[in-house]
Amino acid sequence: MTASGDHDGTTVSVGGRARRNNCLIGVGGITLALTMIGLTYGAAPFYSAFCRATGYEGTPQRVTANTDAEGHRILRVGFDANVAPGLDWSFEPESESVRLRTGKTVTVFFRARNLTDRPTEARATFNVTPEVSGEYFDKIACFCFTTQHLGPHESAEWPVVFFLDPALENDISMARVDSITLSYTLFAPPSEKPAPGRSADRAGPAG
Amino acid sequence: MASVTDFSHHDVEAHHAHELPTGWRRFLFSTNHKDIGTLYLVFAICAGLIGTVFSIVIRAELMEPGLHVFPVISAVMSGDGSIDAAKNMYNVFFSSHALIMIFFMVMPAMMGGFGNWMVPLLIGAPDMAFPRLNNLSFWLLAASFALLMCSLFAEGSPGMHGFGGGWVLYPPFSSVIGTPGPAADFVILSMHLAGASSIIGSINFIATILNMRAPGMTMFRMPLFAWSVLITAFLLLLALPVLAGALTMLLTDRNFHTTFFEPAGGGDPILFQHLFWFFGHPEVYILIIPGFGIVSQVVATFSKKPIFGYVGMVYAMLAIAFLGFAVWAHHMFTTGMSLNAQRYFVFATMVIAVPTGVKVFSWLATMWGGSISLRPPMLWAIGFVFVFTVGGVTGVVLANAAIDRYLHDTYYVVAHFHYVMSLGAVFSIFAGFYYWFPKMTGYLYDERLAKWHFWVSFVGINLTFFPQHFLGFQGMPRRVVDYTEAYAFWNMVSSIGAYISGAGTLIFLYLIYEAFKAKRHAPDNPWGPGATTLEWKVPSPAPFHTWESPPQIFGDEDVHAPAIAGHGSAA
Repeated sequence: MTASGDHDGTTVSVGGRARRNNCLIGVGGITLALTMIGLTYGAAPFYSAFCRATGYEGTPQRVTANTDAEGHRILRVGFDANVAPGLDWSFEPESESVRLRTGKTVTVFFRARNLTDRPTEARATFNVTPEVSGEYFDKIACFCFTTQHLGPHESAEWPVVFFLDPALENDISMARVDSITLSYTLFAPPSEKPAPGRSADRAGPAG
Repeated sequence: MASVTDFSHHDVEAHHAHELPTGWRRFLFSTNHKDIGTLYLVFAICAGLIGTVFSIVIRAELMEPGLHVFPVISAVMSGDGSIDAAKNMYNVFFSSHALIMIFFMVMPAMMGGFGNWMVPLLIGAPDMAFPRLNNLSFWLLAASFALLMCSLFAEGSPGMHGFGGGWVLYPPFSSVIGTPGPAADFVILSMHLAGASSIIGSINFIATILNMRAPGMTMFRMPLFAWSVLITAFLLLLALPVLAGALTMLLTDRNFHTTFFEPAGGGDPILFQHLFWFFGHPEVYILIIPGFGIVSQVVATFSKKPIFGYVGMVYAMLAIAFLGFAVWAHHMFTTGMSLNAQRYFVFATMVIAVPTGVKVFSWLATMWGGSISLRPPMLWAIGFVFVFTVGGVTGVVLANAAIDRYLHDTYYVVAHFHYVMSLGAVFSIFAGFYYWFPKMTGYLYDERLAKWHFWVSFVGINLTFFPQHFLGFQGMPRRVVDYTEAYAFWNMVSSIGAYISGAGTLIFLYLIYEAFKAKRHAPDNPWGPGATTLEWKVPSPAPFHTWESPPQIFGDEDVHAPAIAGHGSAA
């Protein structure tokens, strides 16, 4: 800093090089803060991609075909279907659970029915628990990949084609997991949701 | 021997030629680091008193099983004395207690208060780098506090007043599903303003410390409090924007139909937890690192020895700050991470015990063989080392993912973070307060009263929080308004402790009143030969302008030790 600061009565201000350096640090600090905010927003798509890539938070993997390598463990896969408040549909799995060998591809069906008098659309969110099994839960086809449309009182049977990756046999996180639950919740598209603040409804199992 | 020139009394008189602002203008428009520091300290004391009242009311409710206190409070505050309203008001109180103590008591006291007051004095700068921004920082914080107070009276959950979702603000409770009313928006906007205030303040500290040190005051000759403020400022600058971003996402989720944390649109509430704790864990170091600096200087002063392992202390703080960004998910062990992720976070968290151990060791080694005088600041500093170590040890326990399965969200966690925050951070604030009070006000306080304040607080606060470890082991969950008979005994003990520490606060208030009433004038250096840093070379109270001609600092710049003001051997 300069040898002596001068001041306009009360505010001390420094001159010359010190002032320039202060401003550089100030601009650098603001840039750093804005960068961190940007990274925070970047975290949202990154997190989504990270979950899809690693199965984190019980995100099942999306694959095109089975590798046909059969394993030897047999696990139970249970199914759970929910409808979020604001969507008047019924939604349930055809069978409560299946038992399958790792590596074997199975197809299961979910039944959905539009209970209203107008055509509506919905999209399902999905995950598996325990969360660590997401990495090994491979879906080849699923109704949750796209938005589903049902006409007035129309019903549909939706298939899910999946298998369990035999690699789970080598993961000690999975050693004590005998049962995996695949859960879906159907949501109306956010744009069709009624204005917030009107109801204290909670998401719950559908009929 | 390094030393600096005496403060020139000629300079002091020269300033009287300027018209100094008086009355409310002096503070509302203040650009003076000392006045702004004073504003921050007064603000922190007021907010701290409100937060303390909240905590004592909470303890009064928890003294016995059943609902006793909050039906009345709820009836007074919202006109609804029903059981549900009482439970909601309890949630609102503990949430507000946390936000007030973190953002409006500890942070303003340490960074805004002591940081503003002492950093320019300690490094020989005439003022902060951006004096007007400094003023903005403070008044943004005041506005932020006003918004938080508004949230108490706004509608939150349907038919209820205030926001009761804890300081963590997790969705979906903080989204429109749990809290459709504007109370949560008030809290979010309050945190935005507090964040902006702290970001501006931290840029100011960084510019001041990097750029305005007196000639000869190299980085490794700065006192440890200046170092701790610099490190904390960087933590604030990196962590607070993450909170601001996450809260903005929450705000747009609530009001503008974005779906960052809404599963309906492909969002995930767990993402909020990750973002929150990426801010939240550095935040707890933001609360404690300035305390490290204060305690280091107090321990050195009253042991009459230079701080042991000065360079090690600096690197320990840097290491803690750095590691603080890499351990956030240890708050989320129960959200379903893979074993390998848990292993990493357990290990990384435990590594933090190493630099922390270096600091505790260095404080003890500074005292070892020193000529210790147990004056009030030293009592608080030694108390800090004790309670911080207790809190640190329980932190290592909680770092274990397996044990965390059992202790997560129990009173053990409450005991842990109150030992490091409510006792650790607060003890260091009181150490700093009693250390610098004569310099800031020019008056000596009654040391007998200050010692009473210490002992009453020490007994009360340990009685409050130590039994909460037992409650946690018994499995009592935190954030509950009522509990079974099984937990009654230790809750009773804990509440009695809270009343005792509340009495300690009354002693503190009386002590301030007594000091200003008695007007015992303080000498420039009331602490004797151990007080070697630059602030003791200016008169008490420190004049409006100091170090306009920078102090000349002698000695070898390559010697990494705090620059000292010499023992009367000024050049």
